[in-house]
Amino acid sequence: MLVIENLVGGYGETDILTGIDLTVAPGEILTVAGTNGAGKSTLAKAVVGLLPRMSGRILLNEQDITRVPVEQRALSGIGYVPQVANVFGSLTITENLEVVEGVKNPRQRIAELFELFPAIAERRRGRASSLSGGERQQLAFARALMTRPGVIVLDEPTAALSPIMADESFRRIGELARTGTAVLLIEQRARQALAISHRGAIMDAGKVALSGPAQSLLADERAAQLYLGVAHAG
Amino acid sequence: MTSFVELLLSGITSGLIIGLAGLSVTLVFGIARFSNAATGDTMTLGAYGALMGTSLTGSLLAGGLIGLAAGALSAILAYVLVFRPLQNRSPISSLLASIGVAFFIRAVLGVVFGHDQMVFQMDLVRPFRLHGVRIQPNDLKFAGVAILTLALVFVVLHLTPIGRRMRAVADNPLLARVSGIAPRPVMFTLWAIAGAVAAVAGILLGMKTVVSPESGWDMLLPAFAAAVLGGIGHPVGAVLAGVIIGVAQELATPFVGFTYKIAISFLVLLLVLLVRPRGLFGKIEGVR
Repeated sequence: MLVIENLVGGYGETDILTGIDLTVAPGEILTVAGTNGAGKSTLAKAVVGLLPRMSGRILLNEQDITRVPVEQRALSGIGYVPQVANVFGSLTITENLEVVEGVKNPRQRIAELFELFPAIAERRRGRASSLSGGERQQLAFARALMTRPGVIVLDEPTAALSPIMADESFRRIGELARTGTAVLLIEQRARQALAISHRGAIMDAGKVALSGPAQSLLADERAAQLYLGVAHAG
Repeated sequence: MTSFVELLLSGITSGLIIGLAGLSVTLVFGIARFSNAATGDTMTLGAYGALMGTSLTGSLLAGGLIGLAAGALSAILAYVLVFRPLQNRSPISSLLASIGVAFFIRAVLGVVFGHDQMVFQMDLVRPFRLHGVRIQPNDLKFAGVAILTLALVFVVLHLTPIGRRMRAVADNPLLARVSGIAPRPVMFTLWAIAGAVAAVAGILLGMKTVVSPESGWDMLLPAFAAAVLGGIGHPVGAVLAGVIIGVAQELATPFVGFTYKIAISFLVLLLVLLVRPRGLFGKIEGVR
């Protein structure tokens, strides 16, 4: 369970996040959508510990991890797939997985992940830089799943993908949640993301402007007009 | 033709030494993200450590290992006392600090050992001829030690968990942290390896020529040139580039003289920066 309480923070002196309260339960997908510059990626960075300045509280399974360093948060069960630069390009596909710390029986875990992502398994000895966009995304997922995290933070995982690959990605995210993982999904393709989510939050200017069950947000006219794109509104 | 081959062989040996120094520079640049101007003086410290170790133990091998340990220890100390406190500042701060560390090491060596040249007491071995080409057995030994050192570094980097972590940090430091890789063990290992490799380069240079407080500083330009030509942050590139520069320097000696052969490194550096700034093996950095 991930709990975010009154999160305020940013990179320089200006606050990008101006008071965020969110909760993601085990097995739940929470989509965070919003316009560019709303602070979605900054929220993801705050959760994994990469935001240099912040106040408020972040709780992981009731433990306060607000002051816990990045690598410790990773070891305590937070997986993260950044939007860009999400694989080690100069390492082989297998090395990208081997390098992850805090994995019990890493060989077995890598074999399991190769079964889950057969496209990257075929190229396990190749460098990650040689992978296509979709394959990279699969490797980034696999790397983040190495530790069997209780919470996974996905920062626009479909941003560089074709519509077919994006559909595949959303399908995998749904499967992941069904295994009991809490998913914090930052997404620009808000309608598609909400369609597979349990709940949604729409950010605007560093705050949560609207939140609620995903289906209610999809049906909400104000949300559709302001944030989700009226062209596709049902 | 014979003298050309002799110069070529000598150039390969010198080039391997430059390559070791370039490897030290490029390892630090790849992971700690700054150009370490103290590399040359760490070489000198290693050479003096080996000289002292040899005179204390009577064994060249034991002396060499003591020199290597001195290089590794001094690099770790420089990291703990100087570079770690500066790690969140701009790379220029660390570069300037490394120049300070270099001056400090040189000054201490000058005070302790004086400025007279010192030599390793090594057996004089008669060169042998192979198809008319004169070969110095010591050059072969130096090349062997350099190749062994390079092989060890590459084994550590590619076949051990800590090496994999080091390459991950060099590739993408933030992704490494979110993958649970703690920076501290990686940085300590980096500085130990960088210092030891520089020390081996300094010891071999001292055995091939002489040891003085300035000998390592004079190697800094060729070492930087090798790191840049090889593609900064690319270990294999730095070594190959070191050999290219060493060979170019030796082959140019009949034309420019011994004193000015180091200018070849400067020329290489200049040409690479103008024509191919990413070096032979470097990648173009993405801009977003």
